[in-house]
Amino acid sequence: MAISEKLYGKMQSEVIALASSINEVVGKFKELHSPLTESREKVPKATEQLDKISEQTEVAASQMLDKVEGITQREDDVIQGLNGIKEKVASGNLTEIVPMIDTLIEKANTTSEDAYIIMDALQFQDITTQQMNHAASLLEDIEERLHSIVGVIQGSKETNDSYSEPNSQRKERAYDPHADYSDKKTTQSDIDSLFAGEK
Amino acid sequence: MADLKILAVDDSPTMRRIIINTLKRAGYTNVVEASDGKDAIAKLKVEDVNFVITDWNMPEMDGLTFVKTIRGMDEYKSIPVLMVTTRSVKDDIVEALKVGVNNYIVKPFTPNTLKDKIEQVLNG
Repeated sequence: MAISEKLYGKMQSEVIALASSINEVVGKFKELHSPLTESREKVPKATEQLDKISEQTEVAASQMLDKVEGITQREDDVIQGLNGIKEKVASGNLTEIVPMIDTLIEKANTTSEDAYIIMDALQFQDITTQQMNHAASLLEDIEERLHSIVGVIQGSKETNDSYSEPNSQRKERAYDPHADYSDKKTTQSDIDSLFAGEK
Repeated sequence: MADLKILAVDDSPTMRRIIINTLKRAGYTNVVEASDGKDAIAKLKVEDVNFVITDWNMPEMDGLTFVKTIRGMDEYKSIPVLMVTTRSVKDDIVEALKVGVNNYIVKPFTPNTLKDKIEQVLNG
Protein backbone atom coordinates (compact mmCIF):
# COMPACT_ATOMS: atom_id res chain seq x y z
CA MET A 1 0.00 0.00 0.00
CA ALA A 2 1.41 3.32 -0.98
CA ILE A 3 1.86 5.81 1.78
CA SER A 4 -0.04 8.97 1.19
CA GLU A 5 1.91 12.16 0.82
CA LYS A 6 0.20 13.57 3.91
CA LEU A 7 1.21 10.61 6.06
CA TYR A 8 4.72 10.67 4.62
CA GLY A 9 5.06 14.34 5.51
CA LYS A 10 3.86 13.70 9.03
CA MET A 11 6.32 10.84 9.50
CA GLN A 12 9.13 12.94 8.09
CA SER A 13 8.44 15.76 10.55
CA GLU A 14 8.25 13.25 13.43
CA VAL A 15 11.61 11.76 12.42
CA ILE A 16 13.15 15.23 12.16
CA ALA A 17 11.78 16.12 15.60
CA LEU A 18 13.12 12.83 17.00
CA ALA A 19 16.56 13.48 15.48
CA SER A 20 16.51 16.96 16.94
CA SER A 21 15.64 15.58 20.38
CA ILE A 22 18.44 13.00 20.13
CA ASN A 23 20.89 15.76 19.15
CA GLU A 24 19.74 17.82 22.11
CA VAL A 25 20.22 14.87 24.48
CA VAL A 26 23.69 14.19 23.03
CA GLY A 27 24.52 17.87 23.45
CA LYS A 28 23.39 17.76 27.09
CA PHE A 29 25.54 14.70 27.74
CA LYS A 30 28.52 16.52 26.18
CA GLU A 31 27.85 19.46 28.49
CA LEU A 32 27.84 17.07 31.44
CA HIS A 33 31.16 15.53 30.47
CA SER A 34 33.39 18.44 31.41
CA PRO A 35 32.00 19.17 34.91
CA LEU A 36 31.83 15.46 35.68
CA THR A 37 35.44 14.94 34.62
CA GLU A 38 36.61 17.95 36.60
CA SER A 39 34.68 16.81 39.67
CA ARG A 40 36.09 13.30 39.36
CA GLU A 41 39.63 14.71 39.24
CA LYS A 42 39.12 17.07 42.18
CA VAL A 43 37.62 14.59 44.64
CA PRO A 44 40.86 12.50 44.93
CA LYS A 45 42.92 15.71 45.29
CA ALA A 46 40.70 16.92 48.14
CA THR A 47 40.86 13.48 49.77
CA GLU A 48 44.65 13.45 49.41
CA GLN A 49 44.92 16.85 51.10
CA LEU A 50 42.66 15.74 53.97
CA ASP A 51 44.74 12.57 54.44
CA LYS A 52 47.91 14.70 54.44
CA ILE A 53 46.45 16.95 57.16
CA SER A 54 45.68 13.91 59.28
CA GLU A 55 49.20 12.47 58.83
CA GLN A 56 51.06 15.74 59.37
CA THR A 57 49.00 16.68 62.42
CA GLU A 58 49.91 13.28 63.84
CA VAL A 59 53.64 13.83 63.15
CA ALA A 60 53.66 17.29 64.76
CA ALA A 61 51.56 16.17 67.73
CA SER A 62 53.90 13.23 68.27
CA GLN A 63 56.97 15.53 68.19
CA MET A 64 55.36 17.85 70.72
CA LEU A 65 54.27 15.01 73.00
CA ASP A 66 57.83 13.61 73.02
CA LYS A 67 59.08 16.96 74.26
CA VAL A 68 56.23 17.45 76.75
CA GLU A 69 56.93 14.01 78.23
CA GLY A 70 60.61 14.97 78.58
CA ILE A 71 59.69 18.30 80.21
CA THR A 72 57.29 16.76 82.74
CA GLN A 73 59.83 14.08 83.70
CA ARG A 74 62.54 16.74 84.06
CA GLU A 75 60.26 18.97 86.14
CA ASP A 76 59.72 16.06 88.55
CA ASP A 77 63.53 15.74 88.78
CA VAL A 78 63.86 19.50 89.37
CA ILE A 79 61.28 19.44 92.20
CA GLN A 80 63.07 16.47 93.73
CA GLY A 81 66.44 18.24 93.34
CA LEU A 82 65.15 21.46 94.94
CA ASN A 83 63.78 19.47 97.89
CA GLY A 84 67.19 17.81 98.20
CA ILE A 85 68.91 21.23 98.24
CA LYS A 86 66.41 22.47 100.84
CA GLU A 87 67.27 19.49 103.10
CA LYS A 88 71.01 20.05 102.65
CA VAL A 89 70.65 23.74 103.54
CA ALA A 90 68.49 22.90 106.58
CA SER A 91 71.08 20.39 107.83
CA GLY A 92 73.94 22.82 107.17
CA ASN A 93 75.56 20.43 104.67
CA LEU A 94 76.42 22.87 101.88
CA THR A 95 79.30 21.06 100.19
CA GLU A 96 77.12 19.09 97.74
CA ILE A 97 74.83 21.98 96.85
CA VAL A 98 76.83 23.43 93.95
CA PRO A 99 76.85 20.26 91.80
CA MET A 100 73.13 19.79 92.58
CA ILE A 101 72.41 23.35 91.40
CA ASP A 102 74.50 22.75 88.25
CA THR A 103 72.38 19.70 87.47
CA LEU A 104 69.20 21.73 87.92
CA ILE A 105 70.50 24.52 85.66
CA GLU A 106 71.29 21.92 82.99
CA LYS A 107 67.80 20.47 83.26
CA ALA A 108 66.21 23.95 83.10
CA ASN A 109 68.22 24.73 79.95
CA THR A 110 67.11 21.49 78.32
CA THR A 111 63.50 22.28 79.21
CA SER A 112 63.85 25.73 77.67
CA GLU A 113 65.26 24.17 74.47
CA ASP A 114 62.38 21.69 74.37
CA ALA A 115 59.83 24.49 74.81
CA TYR A 116 61.28 26.21 71.72
CA ILE A 117 61.20 22.94 69.79
CA ILE A 118 57.50 22.63 70.66
CA MET A 119 56.96 26.18 69.43
CA ASP A 120 58.74 25.35 66.14
CA ALA A 121 56.58 22.25 65.71
CA LEU A 122 53.50 24.47 66.02
CA GLN A 123 54.27 25.74 62.51
CA PHE A 124 52.23 22.72 61.44
CA GLN A 125 49.14 24.85 62.24
CA ASP A 126 49.90 27.27 59.39
CA ILE A 127 50.81 24.46 57.00
CA THR A 128 47.72 22.35 57.71
CA THR A 129 45.50 25.46 57.51
CA GLN A 130 46.78 25.96 53.96
CA GLN A 131 46.15 22.29 53.17
CA MET A 132 42.60 22.61 54.52
CA ASN A 133 42.03 25.76 52.47
CA HIS A 134 43.18 23.89 49.37
CA ALA A 135 40.82 20.98 50.13
CA ALA A 136 37.95 23.42 50.84
CA SER A 137 38.65 25.24 47.58
CA LEU A 138 38.53 21.94 45.64
CA LEU A 139 35.22 21.04 47.31
CA GLU A 140 33.80 24.46 46.44
CA ASP A 141 34.82 23.90 42.80
CA ILE A 142 33.08 20.53 42.86
CA GLU A 143 29.95 22.19 44.27
CA GLU A 144 29.99 24.62 41.33
CA ARG A 145 30.40 21.79 38.81
CA LEU A 146 27.53 19.88 40.41
CA HIS A 147 25.45 23.02 40.19
CA SER A 148 26.11 23.28 36.48
CA ILE A 149 25.31 19.56 36.05
CA VAL A 150 21.95 20.06 37.77
CA GLY A 151 21.36 23.03 35.46
CA VAL A 152 21.98 20.85 32.38
CA ILE A 153 19.76 18.04 33.67
CA GLN A 154 16.97 20.52 34.36
CA GLY A 155 17.35 21.80 30.82
CA SER A 156 18.38 25.22 31.94
CA LYS A 157 21.25 26.91 33.70
CA GLU A 158 18.69 28.39 36.06
CA THR A 159 17.93 26.38 39.14
CA ASN A 160 14.69 26.00 40.99
CA ASP A 161 14.00 26.07 44.73
CA SER A 162 15.13 22.48 45.19
CA TYR A 163 18.78 23.37 44.51
CA SER A 164 20.34 26.54 45.79
CA GLU A 165 23.10 28.56 44.10
CA PRO A 166 26.66 27.96 45.35
CA ASN A 167 27.57 30.50 48.00
CA SER A 168 28.74 33.63 46.19
CA GLN A 169 30.07 35.13 49.48
CA ARG A 170 32.91 32.67 49.75
CA LYS A 171 35.85 33.28 52.03
CA GLU A 172 38.99 34.40 50.24
CA ARG A 173 41.37 31.49 50.57
CA ALA A 174 45.12 32.07 50.46
CA TYR A 175 47.04 28.83 50.28
CA ASP A 176 49.96 27.03 48.71
CA PRO A 177 48.65 23.82 47.07
CA HIS A 178 52.05 22.20 47.73
CA ALA A 179 52.29 23.20 51.42
CA ASP A 180 53.84 20.31 53.30
CA TYR A 181 55.19 19.86 56.82
CA SER A 182 57.96 17.45 55.88
CA ASP A 183 58.36 17.43 52.09
CA LYS A 184 60.16 20.50 50.79
CA LYS A 185 60.44 20.56 46.99
CA THR A 186 63.67 22.59 47.16
CA THR A 187 66.25 22.28 49.93
CA GLN A 188 67.53 25.31 51.85
CA SER A 189 71.01 24.77 50.39
CA ASP A 190 69.57 24.90 46.83
CA ILE A 191 67.72 28.09 47.76
CA ASP A 192 70.96 29.53 49.15
CA SER A 193 72.72 28.66 45.86
CA LEU A 194 70.00 30.44 43.87
CA PHE A 195 70.35 33.59 45.95
CA ALA A 196 74.14 33.40 46.04
CA GLY A 197 74.12 33.23 42.22
CA GLU A 198 72.30 36.55 42.07
CA LYS A 199 74.89 38.44 44.09
CA MET B 1 70.88 44.56 66.51
CA ALA B 2 69.14 46.65 69.15
CA ASP B 3 68.32 49.35 66.58
CA LEU B 4 66.88 46.93 64.06
CA LYS B 5 63.10 47.20 63.79
CA ILE B 6 61.62 44.18 62.08
CA LEU B 7 58.19 43.97 60.44
CA ALA B 8 56.78 40.40 60.55
CA VAL B 9 54.05 39.88 57.94
CA ASP B 10 51.95 36.71 58.05
CA ASP B 11 48.20 36.07 57.94
CA SER B 12 48.54 33.32 60.55
CA PRO B 13 48.56 34.75 64.10
CA THR B 14 50.27 31.53 65.25
CA MET B 15 53.09 32.00 62.74
CA ARG B 16 53.50 35.64 63.75
CA ARG B 17 53.87 34.59 67.39
CA ILE B 18 56.38 31.88 66.47
CA ILE B 19 58.42 34.32 64.36
CA ILE B 20 58.32 37.05 67.02
CA ASN B 21 59.36 34.62 69.79
CA THR B 22 62.15 33.21 67.64
CA LEU B 23 63.37 36.73 66.85
CA LYS B 24 63.30 37.74 70.51
CA ARG B 25 65.32 34.68 71.44
CA ALA B 26 67.86 35.63 68.76
CA GLY B 27 68.10 39.10 70.28
CA TYR B 28 65.78 40.99 67.93
CA THR B 29 63.28 42.46 70.37
CA ASN B 30 61.95 45.36 68.32
CA VAL B 31 59.29 43.72 66.17
CA VAL B 32 56.02 44.98 64.69
CA GLU B 33 53.51 42.78 62.92
CA ALA B 34 51.09 42.88 59.99
CA SER B 35 48.51 40.36 58.75
CA ASP B 36 48.88 40.88 54.97
CA GLY B 37 50.57 43.02 52.34
CA LYS B 38 48.16 45.95 52.61
CA ASP B 39 48.46 46.02 56.38
CA ALA B 40 52.26 45.79 56.00
CA ILE B 41 52.41 48.84 53.71
CA ALA B 42 50.31 50.76 56.25
CA LYS B 43 52.71 49.71 59.03
CA LEU B 44 55.77 50.69 56.97
CA LYS B 45 54.35 54.19 56.63
CA VAL B 46 53.97 54.74 60.38
CA GLU B 47 56.76 52.62 61.86
CA ASP B 48 60.46 53.14 61.36
CA VAL B 49 61.02 49.63 60.02
CA ASN B 50 64.40 48.59 58.61
CA PHE B 51 63.88 44.87 57.95
CA VAL B 52 60.89 42.90 56.64
CA ILE B 53 60.02 39.23 57.08
CA THR B 54 57.04 38.26 54.94
CA ASP B 55 54.91 35.25 54.12
CA TRP B 56 53.76 34.68 50.50
CA ASN B 57 50.21 33.28 50.66
CA MET B 58 48.02 35.87 52.32
CA PRO B 59 44.55 37.27 51.57
CA GLU B 60 44.01 40.91 50.51
CA MET B 61 47.59 41.33 49.24
CA ASP B 62 49.99 38.41 48.99
CA GLY B 63 53.67 38.63 49.83
CA LEU B 64 54.90 38.69 46.25
CA THR B 65 52.62 41.61 45.34
CA PHE B 66 53.66 43.33 48.56
CA VAL B 67 57.37 43.06 47.69
CA LYS B 68 56.72 44.18 44.09
CA THR B 69 54.77 47.16 45.42
CA ILE B 70 57.36 48.33 47.93
CA ARG B 71 60.21 47.84 45.45
CA GLY B 72 58.42 50.43 43.33
CA MET B 73 58.31 52.93 46.19
CA ASP B 74 61.40 55.11 46.62
CA GLU B 75 61.40 54.94 50.43
CA TYR B 76 61.32 51.12 50.57
CA LYS B 77 63.03 50.02 47.37
CA SER B 78 66.16 48.99 49.29
CA ILE B 79 64.64 47.71 52.52
CA PRO B 80 65.88 44.14 53.23
CA VAL B 81 63.17 41.52 52.73
CA LEU B 82 63.29 37.91 53.89
CA MET B 83 60.48 35.70 52.63
CA VAL B 84 59.32 32.89 54.95
CA THR B 85 56.78 30.69 53.18
CA THR B 86 55.59 27.14 52.54
CA ARG B 87 56.27 27.61 48.82
CA SER B 88 59.18 25.35 48.00
CA VAL B 89 58.75 24.89 44.23
CA LYS B 90 61.86 26.22 42.48
CA ASP B 91 59.93 28.40 40.00
CA ASP B 92 58.26 30.20 42.92
CA ILE B 93 61.61 30.85 44.58
CA VAL B 94 63.02 32.22 41.32
CA GLU B 95 59.97 34.48 41.00
CA ALA B 96 60.51 35.80 44.53
CA LEU B 97 64.13 36.45 43.72
CA LYS B 98 63.13 38.36 40.57
CA VAL B 99 60.76 40.71 42.39
CA GLY B 100 63.47 41.66 44.87
CA VAL B 101 63.31 39.32 47.85
CA ASN B 102 66.77 39.30 49.50
CA ASN B 103 66.57 35.80 50.96
CA TYR B 104 64.11 32.96 51.32
CA ILE B 105 63.19 30.34 53.91
CA VAL B 106 60.75 27.47 53.50
CA LYS B 107 58.44 26.65 56.43
CA PRO B 108 58.76 24.89 58.75
CA PHE B 109 62.01 26.65 59.63
CA THR B 110 64.41 26.28 62.54
CA PRO B 111 65.40 29.23 64.78
CA ASN B 112 69.00 28.93 63.55
CA THR B 113 67.95 29.21 59.90
CA LEU B 114 65.94 32.35 60.60
CA LYS B 115 68.80 33.93 62.55
CA ASP B 116 71.39 32.97 59.90
CA LYS B 117 69.34 34.36 57.02
CA ILE B 118 68.69 37.66 58.81
CA GLU B 119 72.43 38.00 59.43
CA GLN B 120 73.24 37.08 55.81
CA VAL B 121 70.84 39.70 54.50
CA LEU B 122 72.12 42.35 56.89
CA ASN B 123 75.73 41.57 56.01
CA GLY B 124 74.95 41.79 52.29
